[in-house]
Amino acid sequence: MDKVVDLYLSQPTTRKKWKEFLEKLGLHDFSDREIDVIDHTLGLIDEDGKLVGTGSIAGNVLKYIGVCNEDATSGARFNKIVTALQQYLFNEGKFHSFVFTKEKYSSSFQHLSFSELAHTEQAAFLESGNPNVDDYLNSLPQIPNQDNKKIAAIVMNANPFTLGHRHLVEMASQENDLIYVFVVATDLSLFKTKERMMLVQEGLSDLKNVKVVSGGDYMVSSATFPAYFLQSPKDLIDTQTEIDARVFKNIIAPKLNITRRYLGKEPISITTHYYNVSLAHELGPDIEVIITPRYQVEGQLVTATQVRKDIKEGNLTEIAKFVPKTTYDYINDNLLKLQDRIKKGMKIDGN
Amino acid sequence: MEIKTTGVAGTLESSDIQIMISKGSNGIEIDLDSEVKKAYGDQIEKVITDTLKKYGLDNVKVKATDKGALDCVIKARTLAAAQRATETSDKPELEVL
Repeated sequence: MDKVVDLYLSQPTTRKKWKEFLEKLGLHDFSDREIDVIDHTLGLIDEDGKLVGTGSIAGNVLKYIGVCNEDATSGARFNKIVTALQQYLFNEGKFHSFVFTKEKYSSSFQHLSFSELAHTEQAAFLESGNPNVDDYLNSLPQIPNQDNKKIAAIVMNANPFTLGHRHLVEMASQENDLIYVFVVATDLSLFKTKERMMLVQEGLSDLKNVKVVSGGDYMVSSATFPAYFLQSPKDLIDTQTEIDARVFKNIIAPKLNITRRYLGKEPISITTHYYNVSLAHELGPDIEVIITPRYQVEGQLVTATQVRKDIKEGNLTEIAKFVPKTTYDYINDNLLKLQDRIKKGMKIDGN
Repeated sequence: MEIKTTGVAGTLESSDIQIMISKGSNGIEIDLDSEVKKAYGDQIEKVITDTLKKYGLDNVKVKATDKGALDCVIKARTLAAAQRATETSDKPELEVL
């Protein structure tokens, strides 16, 4: 009988064995970006003590699953390792999990009652357990007769909420009956998810046709999307964008009758610009993508990146120019706490 | 009996069934996934429903992933999941079996 064991990747010999095993199976990206977020790794060993399967958990995402099917009933080891990973999550009180995998393995996960949210030629994105995407969608507020209304959506990380975000929403608010503002739920930014959510809500509380909601786990960000099973970094951004766009277009938008999505034009980061263009390409023609120029104050572009730099430098007068009063008050009250997070290594130059 | 959390029991290995129970509002709703659903789906759902009712649960969402479990296994897994969901694992009512 195969046995499930804990693997501790902090031990160099274990890590080497684990890595060699997965490399034989065609996985190749073992960068810190992927490995550092792993909470726990399990291994499957056969009677001779040989590693014949492994899988890892990062948050509520299953990663680096690989099994060797030599001398075993096809699928048995895979089922065993996935079960063991799920048990681990259940013990942590997490009953909802996700997996990003190669498209060809999507059906293996579907046999274990994962349901597919989206797939591309290369990759698939699946979830299991509850609350699932239907529960998430049912939890979002709706207005009467929504099917006949003009509904738009904006997705933002809002790290933190600036006048630029505010401007984008105001514009959408005038041109549509209802706006959903989806705040990215992934907690990897200088401002915690709770803080970002709160500042967006406060900053938009006067706009009556705006609903600020959590993006749940369904706004696929580059921060959570794993690269290890893809061929190249360019595939990463392509695939992540496609998956993100398809979940939005095929699952979220139809349920809420969203027909437009607003994006801020990206003047600086080529990656984000590229993302915007391919998002527009993927979402169309069902969803109209409206890209608006960045909001400027005194000839300066308003970006959350700049605000974070000013936080680092304690430059409150600069910050006041770029953010609404609600955000400013929060930063003013919590400046030391935020600076402390930056000192402790929180990166502020990303998104 | 009140459901307090999500409860899971069972594995995805051959001859087993994994039962996940959470709060429902619309009677006993079972989402069954099984290779033999065509032949045995009704029977599997009946065993789950009967076990839950005996345990005093009427509003439940059940996600069941069957890998060819026998009735006794289905009963045991359903009961264990129900106990975990109602946080009564320390005082099990085994007469339900």
